[in-house]
Amino acid sequence: MTVQSFDEFLLLSVDLTAFEQTDLLGTGLAHHYLAKARAACGDEVVTALLDAHRAARADAADGVGGHDRALLDRALRHRIFSDDRLGPVARNVIKLWYSGTWYGLPAEWTDCYGAQPAAETSTVTAASYQEGLLWPAIGANPPGAKAPGYGSWAQPPRIEDRYLKGTAK
Amino acid sequence: MTASTIDNRDDLISYLHSAMALEHATIPTYLTAYYSIHSSTNSDAAHIIRVVAVEEMLHLTLVANVLNAIGGTPDLTLPGFVPSYPAYLPDGEDDFTVDLRPFSPEAVETFCKIERPGKAPSAGARLVRTSDRGRPLLVSSPTAEGMRFYSIGEFYEEIIEGLEKVAAGDPGLFCGDPARQVGPEYFYSGGGEVITVCDLDSARRALRLIAAQGEGLDSGLYDADGELAHYYRFRQLQLGRYYQVGDHPDAPSGPPLSVSWDDVYQVKVSARLADYPVGSELAGAARKFNAEYGAFLALLTKAFNGRPTLLLDAVWYMFRLRDGFNRLVRNPLPGSGGLHAAPTFEIPTPVGSDPAAARTAGGTTRAVTR
Repeated sequence: MTVQSFDEFLLLSVDLTAFEQTDLLGTGLAHHYLAKARAACGDEVVTALLDAHRAARADAADGVGGHDRALLDRALRHRIFSDDRLGPVARNVIKLWYSGTWYGLPAEWTDCYGAQPAAETSTVTAASYQEGLLWPAIGANPPGAKAPGYGSWAQPPRIEDRYLKGTAK
Repeated sequence: MTASTIDNRDDLISYLHSAMALEHATIPTYLTAYYSIHSSTNSDAAHIIRVVAVEEMLHLTLVANVLNAIGGTPDLTLPGFVPSYPAYLPDGEDDFTVDLRPFSPEAVETFCKIERPGKAPSAGARLVRTSDRGRPLLVSSPTAEGMRFYSIGEFYEEIIEGLEKVAAGDPGLFCGDPARQVGPEYFYSGGGEVITVCDLDSARRALRLIAAQGEGLDSGLYDADGELAHYYRFRQLQLGRYYQVGDHPDAPSGPPLSVSWDDVYQVKVSARLADYPVGSELAGAARKFNAEYGAFLALLTKAFNGRPTLLLDAVWYMFRLRDGFNRLVRNPLPGSGGLHAAPTFEIPTPVGSDPAAARTAGGTTRAVTR
């Protein structure tokens, strides 16, 4: 696993999850997740996913170091989500970040692209459930972990402004 | 014996403000080591540091009670209340550095120094002339310019003697509103308990508990409640074994404890905002932590000024700070040679005293309206 592919995996994850890189690294699990994706789908597939993502970003580049969000959205759908091989893997990476669980790919996928030994549904580490992005996304704590303090549940959830309806990032 | 540096209520109030800042100043140091430990590793060390950090919070509360009892106004939002790290504490004639460090032998060494207040060789040696190195010393005398205390223990002895002296001449010294006292119902998850202060006797007990939980001037392993003093808790990490009753200080004979110095995020020592890449997401996260910490100190200030029930909300704040702390230490700090980020505790100027403002001062997070 190279430093470069890790950085690319982070960029891909930012686009897939809509969480900032600081949040993703802040789970302490990014390296584990890349390793899990490789073990479950094979290096070749993950490399192809990162390549497709790099190409999608290039499609949407605005020429001054950023990218056009609408163009990026379209490029991601075109190059990744509508791809029979890469689409299911990308969706799995989203679920992995949000739930901390790797879900086994469907039989249709493994029939076509091969089954890896680590392909079945599994939790990545003991910490991955409580670090799931699902919880900050809904402004709640993972039940049974990360205690929020007695009575804090009486307060409305705290959601970052940029995720609220009517605010553009 | 040197003349007392405390002559009246105002002097006492100045000293107790300094004592609150001192008690608080150790907490970021302990928390940085605590949160640098990889989760689910080093459980012995994490537990020891956590207990001590929680008891420092008790000490802060005890000092606030004494300050309130004599009519003072605790304020954790004053500029300089949170020191700029590295800060310095006295160790007899010399001083030592208090850094924000990852869990390491150096950190434990510092903890031992913090918690072992040495007794001055004679009553006349309690005050020492401050060296002119311009270091921010945490136990300088607020009333005698250019002087600092031999140790934290001597600093508290000065306050206790000052209370006795001023109370003797002023029967109305303990004039504070009892409703401003924080009671034992607000402190849990640590040793000792909150003592409400209404007279000289309770003030002395509150301040002596602080000294006894550290190591105190009478240097026993265990305090009156049978609780191991902080100094010896940390010695266990150096010596690799737990103490049990009857042990000699140099030879704990309890079960071995295991320490894994490698299972730690190597955070940059006493990181500053200036170490973060300008305008980066990570710098934003570090600023946000500082703002939330500032909002937390503002909440504590309200709690210590007649609204002790706010300490229940403070628990939520602390859990959020925990999450913010974890997020930062898991992020590599670009340009630091592989070190990780950590909170800098550079607290921005408070944004106002409105509770709603304080609650959202942390940055972009806001409660969803229903």
